[in-house]
Amino acid sequence: MFSYPVKELSTIISTIIEKNVNKEVFNWLQEKIHGNLPSAQFNAAFAMMPRKTGKTEITITDTVSNEIDQIYPGLSFEGWTIDRLSRIWLLMSRDSEQENAYVAAIENLFLAADMNELVALYSALPVLAYPARWKARCAEGVRSNIGVVGTAVICNNPYPAAWLDDPAWNQLVMKAIFTDKPVDRIYEIDRRANAELANILLDYAHERWAAGRKINPQLWRSVGKFIDEKNFADIERIGNSNDPLEREAAALACYNSNFLQAKEWLNRHENLKSAIENKSLTWSSLALEMAMGS
Amino acid sequence: MCCSNNNSEKDIQLVKQDSSYLELIKGMQFFDPHIHMTSRTTDDYQAMADAGIVGLIEPAFWLGQPRTGVDTFRDYYSSLIGWERFRSSQFGIKHYSTIGLNSREANNEALAEQVMELLPLFVYKEGVVGVGEIGFDDQTAAEEKYYRLQLELAKEAGLPVQIHTPHRDKKRGTTRSMDIAIEHGLDPYMVIVDHNNEETVKEVLDRGFWAGFTIYPFTKMSNERMVDIVKQYGTERIMINSAADWGISDPLAVPKTAVLMKMRGITDEDIRMVTYQNAITAFGQSGQIDEADFAAVKEIDQSRKFSGNTVLRGGQQPRIDKNSIFIQ
Repeated sequence: MFSYPVKELSTIISTIIEKNVNKEVFNWLQEKIHGNLPSAQFNAAFAMMPRKTGKTEITITDTVSNEIDQIYPGLSFEGWTIDRLSRIWLLMSRDSEQENAYVAAIENLFLAADMNELVALYSALPVLAYPARWKARCAEGVRSNIGVVGTAVICNNPYPAAWLDDPAWNQLVMKAIFTDKPVDRIYEIDRRANAELANILLDYAHERWAAGRKINPQLWRSVGKFIDEKNFADIERIGNSNDPLEREAAALACYNSNFLQAKEWLNRHENLKSAIENKSLTWSSLALEMAMGS
Repeated sequence: MCCSNNNSEKDIQLVKQDSSYLELIKGMQFFDPHIHMTSRTTDDYQAMADAGIVGLIEPAFWLGQPRTGVDTFRDYYSSLIGWERFRSSQFGIKHYSTIGLNSREANNEALAEQVMELLPLFVYKEGVVGVGEIGFDDQTAAEEKYYRLQLELAKEAGLPVQIHTPHRDKKRGTTRSMDIAIEHGLDPYMVIVDHNNEETVKEVLDRGFWAGFTIYPFTKMSNERMVDIVKQYGTERIMINSAADWGISDPLAVPKTAVLMKMRGITDEDIRMVTYQNAITAFGQSGQIDEADFAAVKEIDQSRKFSGNTVLRGGQQPRIDKNSIFIQ
């Protein structure tokens, strides 16, 4: 019913939490975790978490981060607050024997959740039991207009790439670009690139150009593999842009492409090409440049 | 939330906006402990932020259109602690709420029963600073029943209570609300009695309750009368709010009253008590108000939106020039 070694992850989380709260709070939490609580008490414990744990940001060593990534590739607690991680730990402990009862109970938490609870719940999608049951919920999270909630679904979350079908995935990437999310933190964005998504993004780019608005250079990341004779003019357009970030995006997109003219374009731009080859120019370095520039 | 029918031509003329009065209170911070932002626009949020409002409390209330099912109550409470709080943060204003079944809708008993079951799910949420606004409207038996049940809930959750006092038969309704609160063993210091006037204030203060005053055109207090009340009763346990909602009301009632108090010789410290500090002291008994958050909310989107990376852009709503005919 779980797609990952739940005991191992739970042990690691327990260790992190123990280091980030005092003994009294840790004992309270352990009681809740091992208590097999009836619904009302489980819901109350979930709601009052920040009242108990506080909301300070947790510290995790690189060693622990790597351990987590080995147990569950893509999962990351970096930058999380203690209440968020404690809520996830509580959710992982919930009795999941009865599939439908379990799903209904978790869904019920979504229905009455506040902002930070939603953040915790959507970050918990990858660790919940019966992963196939959360696809619609995940797609719903992408629709959220609350910045932090959308970010919790879209960024540093391994659930969407593993479970969303193409239309929902494409909506996620589109929404991320539309709402200025850090696209480089979308897990497996390159693996999930597809021709339909490239077309959607190109349409969007044309719409922005028509309105005289700027385009997030990260958009071209999911286009690269699908450069062809129909859209190469768009790549040339950003390749000739006054904005160095757009030129770099064009180069990165061409680097990912097997289309002949794209390869030729890159060969004509030796500096960019060598920067990519020696890894000083990547989609992540571009994201950092964007951040510094704004 | 009401209107008079004898408006003259002059009353309905558009008035040119002039906000130069704000100069007088520049640098002061305000906290509006009763305002229904769900019914207000983004223009209001911007004006409030510009006028120095750093935090507010949105009590759950009657939306105008009666609700017919428990789900719409749930969605409303969720929006108070979710969407509306987020919307407020985009303008750098910290948003708290009080949660409760309002007195009007307590009269639909079948529905009220279901809402009572829902309330425990919400009162423990972050940023919920009290049970409210509850109390009497028509002063019916059903209103009394649910008022009492919610006092018990507040007691169990250790939360302050925000009491709405009725428009009609106000004095008796106010006295009765306090009697019942005391009968249920609530400490008057945990109870904020709202919408006071010259007739009710003395008893409320004498009995040890907090007295809220709503500056609201036509039906409640004017801010000139408010200045006189502060002059007469001082500042202890007195707080001012706008109760701005879907009626003709003023989301700047608190800062505007501060201006008037300043013009009429009330000290800055006294102004601070009734337009900021007292409300925070009273509702802060919930353990949910941290004044440090008022500064934090101004960056919160930027820092939270991108998981601790404050470098990336995003967050606060961009300003637009309202006088420009170009909409870009």
